[in-house]
Amino acid sequence: MTKPDDSPAFAAQAGELIGKIGLELAFVTPGQAASAAVLDDLFAELLVLLPATAPAALVDGVTAAAERLASVAGGGQRPSAATIALLGDWLPWCEEAIASWGAGRTITSWAPPAADAGAAVPAEPVAARPPVPPALSPPPPVAPPPPAPAAPPLAALPDLPEMAVDVVPSDADPDLLPLFCAEAEDLLREIEQGVLVLETDPTDGAQLAALFRAFHTFKGNAGVMKLGVIQQLTHELESLLDGARRGQLVLGREAIGVILAGADVLERFVAELGAQAAGSRPRGALSLPVPAVIEGARLAMLAAPSPPPAVAAAAVAPPANPVTPRADVATAAPAAPPPAGLPPAPAQAPEPERSAPSAAAGTVVPDPVPAAAPGRAASRAAGGAIVRVDTHKLDSLIDLVGELVIAQSMVVQHPDMVASGDSDLSRAVGQLRGITSDLRRTAMALRMVPIRATFQKMARLVRDLAVQQGKEIQLVLEGEDTELDRTVVDDLSDPLVHMIRNSADHGIEPPEERARAGKQRCGTITLQAFHKGGYIVIRIADDGRGLSPERIRRKAEERGIVSSTAVLDRREILELIFAPGFSTAETVTDLSGRGVGMDVVRRTIAGLRGKIEIDSTVGSGTTFTLSVPLTLAIIEGLLVGVAGERYVIPTLSVRESFRLHPGMVSTVHGRGEMVMVHGRLMPLLRLRNRLGTAAESTASRAAGADDGVVVVVEAGADARCLLVDELIGKQEVVIKDLGEIFRDRTDFAGAAILGNGRVGLILDVAALVQLRGRQGEAAA
Amino acid sequence: MTDREPDAQAAAAPGKYLTFTLGDESYGITVAVVRAIIKLCPITPVAGMPPYVKGVINLRGKVIPVVDLRTRFGLPPRGDDERTLVIVTALPTPTGATRLHGVIVDRVDELATFTAADIEPTPDFGGAIDIRFIQGMAKSGDRVTALVDLESIAASEMAAPHAEPAPPA
Repeated sequence: MTKPDDSPAFAAQAGELIGKIGLELAFVTPGQAASAAVLDDLFAELLVLLPATAPAALVDGVTAAAERLASVAGGGQRPSAATIALLGDWLPWCEEAIASWGAGRTITSWAPPAADAGAAVPAEPVAARPPVPPALSPPPPVAPPPPAPAAPPLAALPDLPEMAVDVVPSDADPDLLPLFCAEAEDLLREIEQGVLVLETDPTDGAQLAALFRAFHTFKGNAGVMKLGVIQQLTHELESLLDGARRGQLVLGREAIGVILAGADVLERFVAELGAQAAGSRPRGALSLPVPAVIEGARLAMLAAPSPPPAVAAAAVAPPANPVTPRADVATAAPAAPPPAGLPPAPAQAPEPERSAPSAAAGTVVPDPVPAAAPGRAASRAAGGAIVRVDTHKLDSLIDLVGELVIAQSMVVQHPDMVASGDSDLSRAVGQLRGITSDLRRTAMALRMVPIRATFQKMARLVRDLAVQQGKEIQLVLEGEDTELDRTVVDDLSDPLVHMIRNSADHGIEPPEERARAGKQRCGTITLQAFHKGGYIVIRIADDGRGLSPERIRRKAEERGIVSSTAVLDRREILELIFAPGFSTAETVTDLSGRGVGMDVVRRTIAGLRGKIEIDSTVGSGTTFTLSVPLTLAIIEGLLVGVAGERYVIPTLSVRESFRLHPGMVSTVHGRGEMVMVHGRLMPLLRLRNRLGTAAESTASRAAGADDGVVVVVEAGADARCLLVDELIGKQEVVIKDLGEIFRDRTDFAGAAILGNGRVGLILDVAALVQLRGRQGEAAA
Repeated sequence: MTDREPDAQAAAAPGKYLTFTLGDESYGITVAVVRAIIKLCPITPVAGMPPYVKGVINLRGKVIPVVDLRTRFGLPPRGDDERTLVIVTALPTPTGATRLHGVIVDRVDELATFTAADIEPTPDFGGAIDIRFIQGMAKSGDRVTALVDLESIAASEMAAPHAEPAPPA
């Protein structure tokens, strides 16, 4: 055996091609012409690559395989399972042969098995049979039989809504899993958004193509990861979309539902895969309604208005997912299966090569893919290039920029610099300052993402709620491009879901009730986002029945949240819905109304240093307004002086401030000091006593305590007066974690580097307001 | 050694130590944990902490806690001077990450290498001195250096019940 110089170059190029062939083989489906055409192209390339010096055995083997395939693909025919299996055998041989050539070893020749003759058209048994009507189905085979040229007696599809799916493939490359998951999440987001667009316009060609590509890419990735079931699921959905994008069928509401259900399955799978791969969950199988979705996809193809579908055998790659069309849906399918026993070979679609290798072959699907091959490596529509960056790197960059800003201001404010009359120097310093502030803004923007994805999720939610409750609801989104910190986005999702559910569940009335009230049958929920100061404001408004203060009051009293003698204004009554254990739902539904909603919402928002406000008019709707800092990294703070130190109070928590005048403080027996604010007594906390040393606080009391500034702060429904020595100003500060050893010091929410380079502590207003019972007395 | 057997077993390993002075005594910590030595800078006190936790400082944009070892070891207080320094150390946290701490010392002396022969187990001082945080004693010439286990100091800070702010008189 010669060992020509051509070998290494060929090996490299051929290796790549063989990899591609292996990839296509991994998700080729018997009976699909498109996959054959792709493979055919790859083989053609491989043949061209083969150098003249290549050993005869290698050339023969490649040629034989290519011819075998060409006999199928060339005629626009569909590769049979046998052909695919054959190529599956060929692949390792070819790799070995190329390696042998390179190493100068003898190459064993490869010959297609005798069954090769079967490639010629009619010899392969036609295995497709129409399904038996479900009611008559005999019991299903317990396990999927191995691929065989002839399908077992058909029958049979058990109603299996779910199946156990192995999550992490045993031979998975641990390095690839996170990439797969990240990519899959992006694709799923694309899919979900695309589907919702399609729902309004099922013929939107660009969206159909985008969705098709997304599923195709997903399928390819699943193939690489050897996730057979997922690959099959995406394949079915891809086929459905392919039919739609070719105009062979129109996606109805059911079809959209199926695609969304499929996306849900994929999402659950990916989440589980991510968790198992990261080790946060034990490895194991996950029960997923894959068969139900596949069945739904097939039925949707049958049911969709389309040119009469060619009834073809669906030869489904293992694992088999025998599924039975549910009777109600099945009857809706216009394409009535021909009676059992008849060979289903419509004249208009000659399909010479087909087989049904598995028990799943029973389900009839029209093959939407015509002979022409679609673009095989459908790549995702790429916008601007995106770089994934570890958030830790991002955080340290932002830290460094923060340092730079402080260092810059120290230089700029240095007395020598200020005193210098050099105009060149001051120009240079001005430039430095400008660049530094641009840099800081840019660095902060790196963490910012538009709220769009979260809003889109709500669109899906509203759609599902409307369907489930028989309501007509439209969701109007405004300001989806409003940006905020990524971590904030993640935490906002749950509260928004709660509130949207509340609006859809309790706010929007059923169509009849709306009609009676003289409203449009279709209710509207408006979800709006915009920037205001350093905050993102999110407004959720519905035009539903509104909140009745009388009813809220009555419920709150029934539940013992408020006493019947308490004097409350309208706003305070409305705020009662945020109290733990409160629910305005007349009936408890499975979607909301268990009374765990709004108090959790308010807690979450408070955790984000934000606040929530409510406004409602009986009969015309309810509006919730959330204000949340754009980022958890930066807050606007009120700088106050206490006992010689500077502290930061988050501005959002500050209601007002005023100078303390003698006589404003009254001591209520047993309840500490109170200050009269707008006709109301509010507890007073002297920060000097709380934060200063014992000596200082004693001194301050001796010096006559009624000096200083009162800052009225609020957290949730509670408010409190904080007495500080002086107000220094407002400043945006970058929040730093105080660290482990201070974790019990709940007075402080964190620390910030102040303009003078020193550390200032940020007061935790919620904790200080809650002090009431315990520390209120100590401060008295 | 009473109930601190585990620490006694984890005797100081031979290697390079940064030695420093508190009062008249010489102490050492393994250089593996030392990240920087900086001049004493303004410390922001954090109310309600034990007296040896002096507060927090700004270390190049990071907020780190500062512990006064002199107070921690029960030595008499002494005013800061120009030789007072902060040794910045990185100690592992229970979560596996590291966390920066500043340690205030009177004076930093030198980088010393102690062999296993130099290091002896901590003698029992008969309860006169808190030896919980001393991993061993290293001799070099006529000087004896107490090798400090900063990790157990940090751990004790986490565990220490933090005093509520002193109620006003």
